[in-house]
Amino acid sequence: MGRAAAPARGVEAAAAGAGSVVELTDLTVRFPRREQEALRDVSLQIAAGEQVVVLGASGSGKSTILHAVTGVVPHTVAAAVAGQVTVAGSATGETSVVERSRHLGVLAQDPSAAVCLPVVEQEIALPLENRGTDPAHIGGRIASALDSVGATGLRDLPTAHLSGGECQRVALAAALVAEPEVLLLDEPTSMLDPEGVAAVRDAVRSAVTRYRPAVILVEHRLDEWAGAEGVAGLPERVVVLVDGQVVADGPTSLVLQDQAAALRAAGCWLPLDAELGSLTGAQGGLASPANRALLHTLGRPTGTRSRPATGRPLLEASGLAVGRAPAPGRGGRRVDRRSAALLSGVDLTLREGEVVAVLGANGVGKSTLLLTLAGLLTPVAGRVLGDRPGLVFQNAEHQFLASTVEGEIAHGLTSDVTDARVLEQLRRHRLEHLVGQNPFRLSGGEQRRLSLAAMLAHPRPVLLTDEPTLGLDRRDAIATARTLRETADGGGAVLLVSHDLRLVAGLADRVVVLGDGAVLADGPTERVLADPVVLARASLTLPPLVSWLVANLPGRVAHVLQGLDATVTGRADGVA
Amino acid sequence: MRSVERSSPLARRNPSIKLGVLFLVSLVVMFVLDPVTPAVLYLLALVGVVLSSGAPVRTLALAHVPFLAFAAGVLVVNALSRPGAVLWQSGPLRVTEEGLSVGAALAFRTLLVGVLAVGFLLSTDGVALMTSLHHNAGLGARPTYAILAGYRMLQEMPREWSLIRAAHAVRGDRRKDGRPPGGPRHLGGVVFTLLVVSIRKGERVAQALESRGLGLEPRSTWRPVRVSTADWVFVAGVVLVVGVVLAASAQLGLLRGPGALFG
Repeated sequence: MGRAAAPARGVEAAAAGAGSVVELTDLTVRFPRREQEALRDVSLQIAAGEQVVVLGASGSGKSTILHAVTGVVPHTVAAAVAGQVTVAGSATGETSVVERSRHLGVLAQDPSAAVCLPVVEQEIALPLENRGTDPAHIGGRIASALDSVGATGLRDLPTAHLSGGECQRVALAAALVAEPEVLLLDEPTSMLDPEGVAAVRDAVRSAVTRYRPAVILVEHRLDEWAGAEGVAGLPERVVVLVDGQVVADGPTSLVLQDQAAALRAAGCWLPLDAELGSLTGAQGGLASPANRALLHTLGRPTGTRSRPATGRPLLEASGLAVGRAPAPGRGGRRVDRRSAALLSGVDLTLREGEVVAVLGANGVGKSTLLLTLAGLLTPVAGRVLGDRPGLVFQNAEHQFLASTVEGEIAHGLTSDVTDARVLEQLRRHRLEHLVGQNPFRLSGGEQRRLSLAAMLAHPRPVLLTDEPTLGLDRRDAIATARTLRETADGGGAVLLVSHDLRLVAGLADRVVVLGDGAVLADGPTERVLADPVVLARASLTLPPLVSWLVANLPGRVAHVLQGLDATVTGRADGVA
Repeated sequence: MRSVERSSPLARRNPSIKLGVLFLVSLVVMFVLDPVTPAVLYLLALVGVVLSSGAPVRTLALAHVPFLAFAAGVLVVNALSRPGAVLWQSGPLRVTEEGLSVGAALAFRTLLVGVLAVGFLLSTDGVALMTSLHHNAGLGARPTYAILAGYRMLQEMPREWSLIRAAHAVRGDRRKDGRPPGGPRHLGGVVFTLLVVSIRKGERVAQALESRGLGLEPRSTWRPVRVSTADWVFVAGVVLVVGVVLAASAQLGLLRGPGALFG
């Protein structure tokens, strides 16, 4: 127990070579009503100023590590805990969550829950006031915290007016303002668009350079987080979790080299360089000849089925203008036509067998368009023809109606078809083991699968879906993409809104780009993604892989991307 | 959301002080039971609120409606039910002098408290009130910030509500006339989901507040809300006006206390 006497400031401890600011010793965590331990015998030492990224598929225990460090597990969330967690010299058992917050800065996933007070500067003043900081210094520290996250202009704004990316930057400023020794980042970008990811990443970087806290980062979107520097842009140390156990811990480039194949097979997202390296053994990503050769091989024509170019039109919108008018109300309530249209002059036809992606910057009206096509908003002008489409919302929880997974899928089905349909959907979406569970208790990935299953149980010709893969691990994202493809191939049509251009390039037959209040482009996926003018006008940036494929393997982009996905799921249908 | 006129003289007063004055005046008029004194106080308060709150007259008039309705009710019930010298009678209905007097006193009291409350609400921002109660009235940090965080969740609720309604509408079968479902069952489901989603969000917000150290001691206060000289002048002014009206009323023999109820 000599550690209890260690100096409170981790910097001094490290300078003296005395050890770590965060120390997990043989930590095992088991949540009630779960068979498997969430963490098993996890031991980690993190020194002051050290940067660590934790990798693992959904359910591997990444977030539980962070909760054990904050003390939320077991103080707030009940769990059986064995082993020891020590932060800045004090053990969790003896330290409340609030007391421990003196040493920690936390940034969580949900931007709207991260910002709690009505005005930005109050939000950032709060941690300082709570720590009893001299009021004379608070104003200046708010300014420098906001400056370090690039959000100086937001200081006097009401928090209700912030976008998701702005919320996360303000929350980060609040996490940093008291300069805690440890910064915990729990998938801070999982709900943000690419612009928001870049903003939060840059904010973390500049803050880290400013005063060197220890950082524990849990993140899916590693390429976007790393930015232009590739693997060098990631924290220098990586910890790999599989089923609650640490299977690797060491320098990022080395561990990624050793573990990439296992991580890829486990369904974990990897930086592109590591993903390609795991297939060829070659370093250097797209610059390496071996990796390029692999992509060329994957792009070689195989006996792929050809799709009928055009099927029967299932949903037709003509001269459509959409805006936030009230939903078609009961009793024929009059719709306010004065509300400004977000988009106008939209002509859009969805045909049998098609997957169509809608792209565009945040706030351009993508979700409003989906709601209008689904008949939930009255068009400001124009009309929509076709049978009633199904719509899967971004937040699956918003759509749940029943108290069990089974009931959720059976909802609205007539009794003669219920059993067969429910069984089929349970099997297709890997939900059989969860039949009796409450939908609200499922993990994020399971909730997504369930909401898709419940919608597909109904024979509706057109499926609309809003960001269907956001926040999913790679295995679930691939499974979702495959379901959407199968839905279209089975005689339906799918329209998806997504920011993930790799997904879109691998899945969609056609792309509709929105911008400046209208449709900027509507055409075959590759042709649109190869048009720099359209991309610039819609502020879209292609990921490096997609950009390379569009330039070097025209006509084979989707084929190559599906081949890479097949290496995760083991289905060899795309690999030569 | 209701907007608050921030630049008016009344809006610049400290919220806790305003709340205190509102409470004080209400307490004093509880012991006044003649009709003239509260009527005069009401007229003076009305003029004061119109001049100092900056609120449009139309808004003030609309805000009066519930108080007028209640005041009329109080007046009629008292006039018809109190014993005393009969002024008018028709069948079982009779109006007494005492009843009319007490009823009018209570009705003007209602209007007085009403106009002061309206003036307070129209000139006070909810966030400023909570901050002031924390700084000036000793409300603890935890309840204060919990209410402020709740206020922010409330701001987001209409958006969540319409999202969840749409998300549920797309699940259910259409009604026979082709319109989306809208019955009590549908709304019940929406309310339940909103509740679950809000509770979970509340947990996340609570964790965020704890992770920022809410509850640590000792705290410091940045930019404390101060009670200015102008605030004390405001208190003195109100006390003076009420005092002068009460004294004049007593001098003229008009002022009556609770004795009016039994006399």
